[in-house]
Amino acid sequence: MGKFIATSLKEMLLLSRDRSGLLVLFAMPAILVVVFTLIQNNILKSSEALDIEVLWVDGDRQALSAEIARRLSAGGNLTLIRELDGEPLDIPRARKAVAAGHYPAAVLLPAGLSATTARRIELQIQAAISGAPAGTRSAQPIPRITLLFDPLAQGALRGAVTQALNNTVLTLEMERKARALAAVLPSADTALISQRLLAVDARRMPPAGLAQLPTAVEQNVPAWALFGMFFIVVPLSGALIRERELGTLLRLRSLPVSPAILLAGKVCAYVTVAGLQFVLILLIGKYLLPALGTPPLAMGGCPLALAVTVLSAALAAAGYGILLSTLVDSYEQASMFGSVSVVIAAAVGGIMVPVYVMPAAMQALSGYSPLAWGLEALIHIFVRGDSLVPVLPQVGGLLAFSAVCMLLAGVVFKVRGSQG
Amino acid sequence: MPLLSARNISKTYPGSSLPALLDFDFTVDRGEIVGLLGPNGAGKTTAIAIMATLLKADGGELAISGREIRGRERRMRQDLGLVPQDIALYPDLTARENLNYFGRLAGLKGTCLKERVAAGLDQVGLAAHAGKRVRTFSGGMQRRANIAAGLLHSPPLLFLDEPTVGIDAQSRSMILAYLQALKAQGMGMVYTTHYMEEAAQLCDRVAIIDSGRIIAQGRPAALIAGHGRCRDLGELFLALTGKALRD
Repeated sequence: MGKFIATSLKEMLLLSRDRSGLLVLFAMPAILVVVFTLIQNNILKSSEALDIEVLWVDGDRQALSAEIARRLSAGGNLTLIRELDGEPLDIPRARKAVAAGHYPAAVLLPAGLSATTARRIELQIQAAISGAPAGTRSAQPIPRITLLFDPLAQGALRGAVTQALNNTVLTLEMERKARALAAVLPSADTALISQRLLAVDARRMPPAGLAQLPTAVEQNVPAWALFGMFFIVVPLSGALIRERELGTLLRLRSLPVSPAILLAGKVCAYVTVAGLQFVLILLIGKYLLPALGTPPLAMGGCPLALAVTVLSAALAAAGYGILLSTLVDSYEQASMFGSVSVVIAAAVGGIMVPVYVMPAAMQALSGYSPLAWGLEALIHIFVRGDSLVPVLPQVGGLLAFSAVCMLLAGVVFKVRGSQG
Repeated sequence: MPLLSARNISKTYPGSSLPALLDFDFTVDRGEIVGLLGPNGAGKTTAIAIMATLLKADGGELAISGREIRGRERRMRQDLGLVPQDIALYPDLTARENLNYFGRLAGLKGTCLKERVAAGLDQVGLAAHAGKRVRTFSGGMQRRANIAAGLLHSPPLLFLDEPTVGIDAQSRSMILAYLQALKAQGMGMVYTTHYMEEAAQLCDRVAIIDSGRIIAQGRPAALIAGHGRCRDLGELFLALTGKALRD
């Protein structure tokens, strides 16, 4: 036990003195999780039209413009911004803010909108009753509401804002015309105007096996934590290769200690580091990201499932690192091949882009990435609150991967050792 | 009974048609330093790796203090010390941290480990530098720390693979004096070097190996006397192994 602990502590001491290694293991995933979560959160906001902030320049300030504003706000997807820096908005400031990309859109309502609209309705009703031709029913110009968009605003966002405004205006127009008609035809029941004939119930199907789509935080926090954990492959394989190059491996082999104890001590150190990485990324997801405007991270209801999954993922990464160290000849090769292979496994495994948005062929391929197994298990724990049993297949896959890697490493090491 | 006894050891690496070691007979007694000399590629490293239980021989018998090694290599390592040719230390650990770690793996602990580490560093003149990282040491200091790490558990048999390569005269003189002191305490040593004058000065016996076979073995003075034309061990070595380049 003493030799195992001594090896573990020695490994930790060496890692703590390796500044570039610490940067790779802790700073890189921390930066990536913040950057990718914020980007993905913003994309989700834009593409799903959730809580879009729109500048509201009300030149009318009468009943109609107030009603349009009320209904748009009540829709829940738009937040109307009426002031900037404590001052009421005007058209030049709104144009400047949108052109600069500070806001995705601005709605400009002309002066006299309420009065002109009321007059047009009155004239149209009178003309309709008198039987005048359709083209001659109103001499009043059509009042126009102007929508300005940031030149870089996505099509989905433009469509969502335009549609929300058009729907509101159309509904209001219908209601006002009905009321005007009722005024001249007292027997008409105007209530039918607001009675719906058809309803559309739009729902987004969640990915298979999930009750709901993970938020950007729920997707990215486990994803980048796993990515960082798998990067222990680089320092771990590097440490083993350095021992071979320096001759310390020869000295270790000449001592009365089992190679299994040495390896276990080393793996224990790196699994501990992987656990610390996971805790760091979890804390970022819990405290830092919500402070930057993302949804909060739900931690799931089963700490045991979380701990076992993290441990399995760390063991898988350690196994791969050990195998890599036996296959390559130099630290440079381990560093290059280790990082490239982890990045590829991460890309395929849904770390950078969720698996459910990948094409079918890529989704099938992702089934071979240990990072995908880990991510799937963690998302189930975070999003569905799953316990250990439902994620056992993924945990088993990670442990089997670790065991196969270590077994292969043992075989390669033995073969190479017998060749001097 | 010799401290180390190797009989008819042979080894051929997979994929090679030539044996790396053939009919290798070698002994070391207590308090004896035996030099294993040979040109590059002669089989010295293979011989040391087999005798230090790091590599399995294809055939032959190997015993330490009369006990056959085969099947109990790990236990027998308690009686062996190895000073590799490379500086087999962690550059980012201090000298003390390195020795503490290797001493712990050698089975030392507690006060005993602490005392052995302190004594080991003192004996190689590194007590004042115990807290410095090995990376910052000069070549001579690294060599001395390398030797101290191989001696922590006071093994009766020590293998030294070119322990004085690339160091200044002062460090070399100190190392050789230290090895003489260990010999006086009864430690047996296998010593490889390319410095013939060093072998002549330090070793009680030398074995000259070439192409995996021992071609001469005995006391340096007796071997030189046996070849009338040779005035020293260097001339004898070249007379026996030839002047053709080996690598």
